Order: sequence, then C-alpha cells, then structure tokens
Amino acid sequence: MTDVRAPEAATTEPRLPGGPARGAQGLADWLKWGWRQLTSMRIALVLLFLLALGTVPGSMLPQEGADPAGVQQYYTSHPALAPLLNHLGLFNVFAAPWFAAIYLLLFASLVGCVVPRTFRLAGSARTLPPRAPRHLARLPHSAEYGTTLAPDRAVEVAAAVLSGHGFRLRRPDDPADAWVSAEKGYLREVGNLLFHLALLGVLVSVALGGLFGYKADRLLVQGDTFANTASALDEIHLGRLATDADLGPFTITLNRFTASYITSGAQRGQPASFDAQVTYAARPGGPSRTDSIEVNRPLSVDGTKVYLIGHGYAPVFRVTDARGQVVYDSPTPFIAGTTGNFLSDGVVKVPGAQPEQLGFTGVFVPTWVDVAGTLQSAFPAAENPAVSLIAYAGNLGMNSGAPQSVYELDTAGMHRLTAEPQLLLPGQSLKLPGGQGTITFTGYVPWVSLAITHDPGQVPALACGIAALGGLLLSFLVRRRRIFVRARAGGPTSTVQVGGLARTDASGSFEAEFASLAAELRSAHSQHEK
Amino acid sequence: MFRTKRRAVVLVAAVITGALLVVVLVAGWATSGKRDVTDVNGNPDAVLYTAGHRPLAPDFTATTLTGSRLSFSSYRGRVVVVNFWGSWCVPCREEAAALAVAAQRYAPAGVAFLGVDVRDTTASAEAFARTFDITYPSVSDSGAQITLDFTAVVPIAGTPTTLVIDRTGHIAGAVFGQATYAELNTILGQVDGKAAAR
Repeated sequence: MTDVRAPEAATTEPRLPGGPARGAQGLADWLKWGWRQLTSMRIALVLLFLLALGTVPGSMLPQEGADPAGVQQYYTSHPALAPLLNHLGLFNVFAAPWFAAIYLLLFASLVGCVVPRTFRLAGSARTLPPRAPRHLARLPHSAEYGTTLAPDRAVEVAAAVLSGHGFRLRRPDDPADAWVSAEKGYLREVGNLLFHLALLGVLVSVALGGLFGYKADRLLVQGDTFANTASALDEIHLGRLATDADLGPFTITLNRFTASYITSGAQRGQPASFDAQVTYAARPGGPSRTDSIEVNRPLSVDGTKVYLIGHGYAPVFRVTDARGQVVYDSPTPFIAGTTGNFLSDGVVKVPGAQPEQLGFTGVFVPTWVDVAGTLQSAFPAAENPAVSLIAYAGNLGMNSGAPQSVYELDTAGMHRLTAEPQLLLPGQSLKLPGGQGTITFTGYVPWVSLAITHDPGQVPALACGIAALGGLLLSFLVRRRRIFVRARAGGPTSTVQVGGLARTDASGSFEAEFASLAAELRSAHSQHEK
Repeated sequence: MFRTKRRAVVLVAAVITGALLVVVLVAGWATSGKRDVTDVNGNPDAVLYTAGHRPLAPDFTATTLTGSRLSFSSYRGRVVVVNFWGSWCVPCREEAAALAVAAQRYAPAGVAFLGVDVRDTTASAEAFARTFDITYPSVSDSGAQITLDFTAVVPIAGTPTTLVIDRTGHIAGAVFGQATYAELNTILGQVDGKAAAR
C-alpha cells in the first residue's frame, strides 16, 4: 500500500491503440484490453456524447410513447422514409436496442471506472504520512531553531502540538530516531470517496426508478372521482419490474378546476393561473384530505406525484332515442386542437340508442364568434360557449371488434342525419330528423389531465446527487498538507527543523498556516524549556 | 498490490451480480402468483383458484343503477358472479349476451349475478342493460373504488373482468377479459361442486 499519489493520475493506462501490447496473447488479454478501454475516461466521454447524440432524433421525430398520432401523421406524409426510420427504431428511440446498448455500455464504463477508484481512494484515506525526509530545509516551507530540550523530548512536544491540531502522526520505528511526520486534510480523500460512492448511488437510483417506477395518465372531469388502478387509468407505462399491483391505492376527486386568463393587452388570452381543487384518500377507507394541484405544484400521495398537465372543456349532453328513453346523459371531454382559444373536438357515442345507434362529431368553443360562416373561438374562458354538431345514425362498431378510442367516431357503418353542422347554445336541443331522437347541450364542465408518476429512485438520486456535490466540494476545498519535525543534537542542546509540504497546487494559504504552526512549535518548545 | 486490487474488483462485481440475481429471482417469484390457479378451457386468462388458496373478496356497499343501496355481504351463503363492465367497453358488449343467458340458466341453482359498472353514467348503463336484456342488478363504480378494493386481492387489469365468488365469500374463479358462456359454465360447475368442501 504505497499508492499515495493523487488518485486522479493513475486511472487511464496510456496504451490505447493497437490492442494488447507485445502481440496478441489470446482471448483473455483481448478481454482485459477491451475492459481497460471501456473503463477509460476517453471511452466514457465518447459514450456520453453518443448518448446525447442518440436523444436528438427522439426530440426531432414524433415518438410512439408520447405522440402516437404524430407517428401516424409522419407515416402519411413520408410514406417512403417512415418505414426505414421505424426499422432503425427512431420512432421509439428510448426503447431502441442501439440506445440501450449505449447507456448500458456507459453504465458498465462508469461502474468499471468508479469501483476500482473507490478502493484506491479508500486505501489512500487510510495511509499514514511518509517518513520525514532527511533534509527538511529542502522542502518548500521550512524553519529551524535551537532549543535546550533533548532531541527526543523536543519531538515529543512537537508531536503533542501537531496532534492537538488534528494531524495524523507517524513516529519512527527506531526509537533512536528523533522525528515526527504529520499529515492533515484526509477529508479530501473522504470527499473524493463520497463523490465516487454517490456517483454509483445515482446510477443505482436511476436504475431503481426505471425498474420499479411507473407513469400513468388520467383525464378527470370536474366532479368525478378516480381510483389509481389499471381500470380507471387512461394509460399506464410500468417499469420493467413493476406490476399493476404496485400502483398506490389512492383515490382522487376533482372538486373544482379554475383557470384564469389575461383579459387585456397584448397578452390577452394567455393563461394567468390554473388551480385544481382535489379531495384525495391515500388508501381505501383512509382519511380524505383536500389540496390543490397547480402547474409545477404536484400533489404527492405516499411518494407518488400527481401533476396537472392539461385541461379542457367537457360539454354535457343528454340524448333521448326514438323511443323517448334517455340513453345518454354525461359530460363528454372534448380535446382542444392547435388553433388556439380552446376550440375543441370531440365525439358523442350513444350505443344504447334504439332502434339505431347514434353518434355525433362536434366542436366546442368557449367563446364563440362567427367569422364568415365558420365557428371560431375568441377567448379561452367559457364566456359564450357553443357547440356545433353533426349527427349520425347506424352501427357504431362497438358491439364487436377492437377497442375504440372515445375521441374518434367510426362512421363506416353510419349514415349522416344532418347535412350541415348544427350550432347549439347551452340549453338548446337538436331534434334529429326522422324522429330518431333529440340531443340537448345542457351545459359544460372543465376537465383536467393528470400525470401520475412514481419514481422510487427520485429521493435516493437526489440524496446521492447532494452527497456527490458535497464530496466534490470537500475534495476541492480541503488540502492535504504535511508537517515534518526533526530534532538533532546541536546548538543549545538540539536543533529543531520544521518542514512543510502542501500536496495540492492550489495552496495559497498554506504558507501562513505553516508560519503560524512553526511559531507555535517554537513557543511550545521554549515553554517546555523551563 | 495489483493482485489484491483485482481480487477486490472481482469480489465487488460478483456481489453486484449476485444482488441483481437475487432481485430478479425475488421479483420473478413475486409476480408468478399463478401457482395457486389452474387454467379454464385452455385460456390462461380464465382461472380456477385451488381450494385453500381462494382470495377473500372485499366487502363493499354501493348504490345500484336503480338508486337503492346494496351491501355485498348480503350475498354471503350464495355463489355470486361479479362482472366488472362499462357501457363504453367493446368486449363488455360482446360478452353481455353470454352473461345474460348464464344468469337465467343458473338462477334456479341459486347463483346470483351482480354487475359493477365502471367509469360509466346511469343513462348509458341503463341503456346497455335494456339493449342486452340484463336483468340482474349492477352497482355504480364510476370512480373505480370497488375495482380498487378487488385489485388488492386479484389482478384486475381492466374491464371486463368476471369473478366467481363461492358461498364463503372467497374468489373461486376469474376471467380476465371477455368471458364466454363455456368458461362461466366450467367455473360455476367447479365452484358449486366444491363450495361445500371449503
């Protein structure tokens, strides 16, 4: 254990190109050489760069997970290119094998680099200071004075002073030698060690989050309740080792959602604030609490975060069929398009209508204006709401076949009942032709879109991140410095030589520290002379 | 010195690999809760729970679609088929006729049927019952709280899910996904024969 050099110096082996030196010596050498390459700083940086490069298509092309509709659109607009890109996994970059290869290699590289370093640092933090050099006057800082104490007594006194200042001491093996070596600033190595361990911790935390975490989405209409279970969620993305049973068993009710907008000036129509008032219970039968969820202020339920990520309007429709039965009466979430001011699209499906099923495609505008015969929205708040509907009758395709999106109407088996879109204001009804029934636009309620995320690695990752930063600061701010004291027979009784050495370059204040220590040693010696 | 360092690295690598292996094994063991079940009619999503391993169904009180209060414990002593459904759900509409027929055929044997209507509204649900001639009651579970209670004991991943509950209130069989008459028939035949033995 003589490795007392700064550990940074000894990580990469200088032999890079050309494989194992002295000719190929078999598979084992090649593997060893490959491992050394993989764990070198250079390869780690290359991999990090590749990782950054790999995420570029993820942000430039629509992704399956986040925007499946966008992918469909890309297929229609680039019919030749899209299958090729799909083959390369560019529509699902973060799940692509080549992307996984990059981050797994990076992970291996970091672990392979950090683990051996950790051992080296642990060793370095335990080492004793070296023996005192013979000629202390050659050190960058030195002092010499005489004392009437015997050499071994003088060294004894010096050792007590240095030990009082928190130095780690080393005494000669041969009691005839009169010297003491002292070293301080081991906290630097502790900081370095902490940094490396915390770095490993961050990696493990991120892996934990990926394996055991989950993300889910739910659109919740004001007044409705949902339980955090697979049946009640719109979409779930489970981590590799997470199951439906890992979903936190909470329920959330949206009591009220308010959105306010800037009403004047150039920013007119821009959102000013969003606030979702919710009542929630962490578990069935548990106490219910109220809270509000705002943008960037998620609700936290037993470590699961619930974010407010969107909102919109759900016009309420009541539909009676040809037989006069009420077959539909509920808020129907409409989704805002990109045209602004919450001009929203939606569909109403009435599979229970008899004799024929009914369907409607519609547009909701919170503040309607007629611009040359087209319906437009003048303001995002519901100041003058209206819907425009097109009615269909026939087969919705819901009695068999694939599950349907609630936002799309399959009109293949249906015939159109109204030639023109029909505008309805709240309270107004549309009588369907041929006595097929009536649809009434009874009002509207807001809805919010909630993102539920559980990342068990988040808190450990934060803690490790802070620990890494703390370790880094320690290793930068603390200097390792050595003081040697030697006493020889001569002068009044002995000559005391004091030498000092700071082991790091940035040692501006060591000169002052050395001077004050030397002065203190001298006064201690002269005090003991009496 | 190099030798000890290499040994330490190998040791750490081995410990990490070992720990990962344990995690994977434990996770695999935890998720393979299928040891206590047998498949029904060759469908891995339709299962019979082995006697002695039947999970206890949670109790609940809820409002039926017709507005009366219903306590699940009032079914104790009878075999009950609990069907989680929604009028918006395509496979629920596909299986509805099979459930309606099964409910009528098993009524003389004292088997009760109960619907749990998930994420739905009364008007749509009543229209569904009219369309498919469903005569047995359904409770409203618009917020999926009843589903959540059951999820604690059986892995309900969505609608439809059909559970067959024995006379002692334990879950004897389940169909995760669309149920067929044949599957219900098989499960009900097994639960009724063995229900007394439990």
